[in-house]
Amino acid sequence: MNLFFRQLGWELYRLFARRRTYIGFGIFLLVEIVFYLIWTRGGGARQLERMIQNVAGGLDEYLSGLTIAFLMVAFTMLMLGVIFVSLVAGDILAKESEDGNLRLLLVRPVSRFRLLLLKFLSCQIYTTALFLFVAFSSLVVGCLGQGWGGGMLVWAPDLPKVSLFEWWEGMSRYFFAILGFSIVYMPVIGIAFLLGCFRIKPAAATIVTIALIIADRILGKMSMEAFDPYREYFITSRMDAWYLLLYQNIPWARFFEQSAWLLGIGLTCFVLGWLVFERRDIKS
Amino acid sequence: MLSVESISKQFDRNRPPAVNNVSFAVEKGRICGLLGHNGAGKSTALGVVLGMVYPDSGEVTIGGVAVQKEREKAIAKVGAIFEAPAFYDYLSGWKNLQVFTSYSGGVSRSMMKEMVEWVGLTDRIHDRISKYSHGMRQRLALAQALLPHPELLILDEPTDGLDPEGIVEFREQILELRDRLGLTVLLSSHLLSEVEQVCDEVVILQKGKKVYDGGVQNFGGDEITFFIEARNPVDLERSWEKLGGRKLGDEFLISRDREPSECLSRLIGDGVKVCRFTQQENSLESLYLQVSSREIGEDAG
Repeated sequence: MNLFFRQLGWELYRLFARRRTYIGFGIFLLVEIVFYLIWTRGGGARQLERMIQNVAGGLDEYLSGLTIAFLMVAFTMLMLGVIFVSLVAGDILAKESEDGNLRLLLVRPVSRFRLLLLKFLSCQIYTTALFLFVAFSSLVVGCLGQGWGGGMLVWAPDLPKVSLFEWWEGMSRYFFAILGFSIVYMPVIGIAFLLGCFRIKPAAATIVTIALIIADRILGKMSMEAFDPYREYFITSRMDAWYLLLYQNIPWARFFEQSAWLLGIGLTCFVLGWLVFERRDIKS
Repeated sequence: MLSVESISKQFDRNRPPAVNNVSFAVEKGRICGLLGHNGAGKSTALGVVLGMVYPDSGEVTIGGVAVQKEREKAIAKVGAIFEAPAFYDYLSGWKNLQVFTSYSGGVSRSMMKEMVEWVGLTDRIHDRISKYSHGMRQRLALAQALLPHPELLILDEPTDGLDPEGIVEFREQILELRDRLGLTVLLSSHLLSEVEQVCDEVVILQKGKKVYDGGVQNFGGDEITFFIEARNPVDLERSWEKLGGRKLGDEFLISRDREPSECLSRLIGDGVKVCRFTQQENSLESLYLQVSSREIGEDAG
């Protein structure tokens, strides 16, 4: 077990030693700053003020750094996150296969399953790290503009109602929801990883994953009655489950049901990827 | 140490097998060359030996452990170098060694330092691989292959792209490893001179089939080879054919039953103006050409 974690450590070391791994971190920081500037100068704050006035009564308390941080995460993470997570998950095996590193790894006494598991876990850890970074940096940007303290108002188009929290409760809910968000992202990792297990160019694995998720989002959000019975089968509809952790009273049963679906999809993709990779001939 | 038994592999049904019923064995402490043209099946055979390519039939055992059944256990005894070793360019040589050896359970710092010193990379080991020359990468590849303690070393075209000094150095290192540590080596190459100078025995593959398996020097054979020059080369060739010999490249081959002096007098008797008539030692090159031409002849027939 100790050896497994040491190997995982080296896998993560390699992942975080690459400059491209940080592209996602940099882009998100940029997006957060641009979002905040447009939001404050473009009347977004006034709109939110009116809404807060209606639902919460008190203006100053709920127009906080935490409220703005949540909005930044909610509006940017679902689609932009897909790009960077797919980039890493689609690349992690396919790139090593293309570059030939994989052959040097496979002349070591390590099973293909173990190798894949290490890489899959690395992707999940990367995703969690990226999400926590986005959560933290959004909070910093929000607090730089609005100051420390206040309440937290949670509102997004997909939420049925508004939630209101005190500062510290809001803070813990915020980070807890982000952690949940990174876990329900497993299908994205799974699809990109599965594609990377085929003899395929790394870019192809990434692009196909992004295309699939975007198509899923478009179909899942189609405002036509004919789509209603099938809406729950779209991955991105279920990925909105992270919002559930921000409800005033968390509907745990619904959250676990949605998460189980998503983890099931992610793990099924991993197993399929393993079956493909296990049968593959690795040649120069 | 290494036993390859009747391995076959066909990647595409519409094409001939990449490896067809190939068997050979390498005893402990011996260096065996795997020779063949590009596409002869060397890389596929090595892939099967390393458990990276699944054979359609046949089995490979390393130190008595079947690669196809217990890959991890069998591979624990192996170190390998591939042509153009693919390291992580964005990491230093030292970090690369740490990464790769971690999959073998890790190696002590002192052992790594000793190996780095032996391959002569001490001064540059903490530089990024992207700054390494091809020769330095090859030395690092040798270091990673030797960590922790392999019993069998598999080298796939290890001197490709090296300068002449690098080739000589590499050759000396391989011989030292065999002599000092008793390592068994399987060396795949298309460079006849390299194989001839390093290997104790050779397996020649041609279109996926084994066409020769035996010693590199004094391998015998049923023909002797001559180097002959004449002022009238067309007459020389005609006369040589009349004698029952054949020409292969620049060399003239004839059955061992014939006496060289008799051959020479028959040529002169036929009016061939012989300038030079030398019996050649059987070289690997002539062996290679012999078995290759035999195979081509069979195919044509």
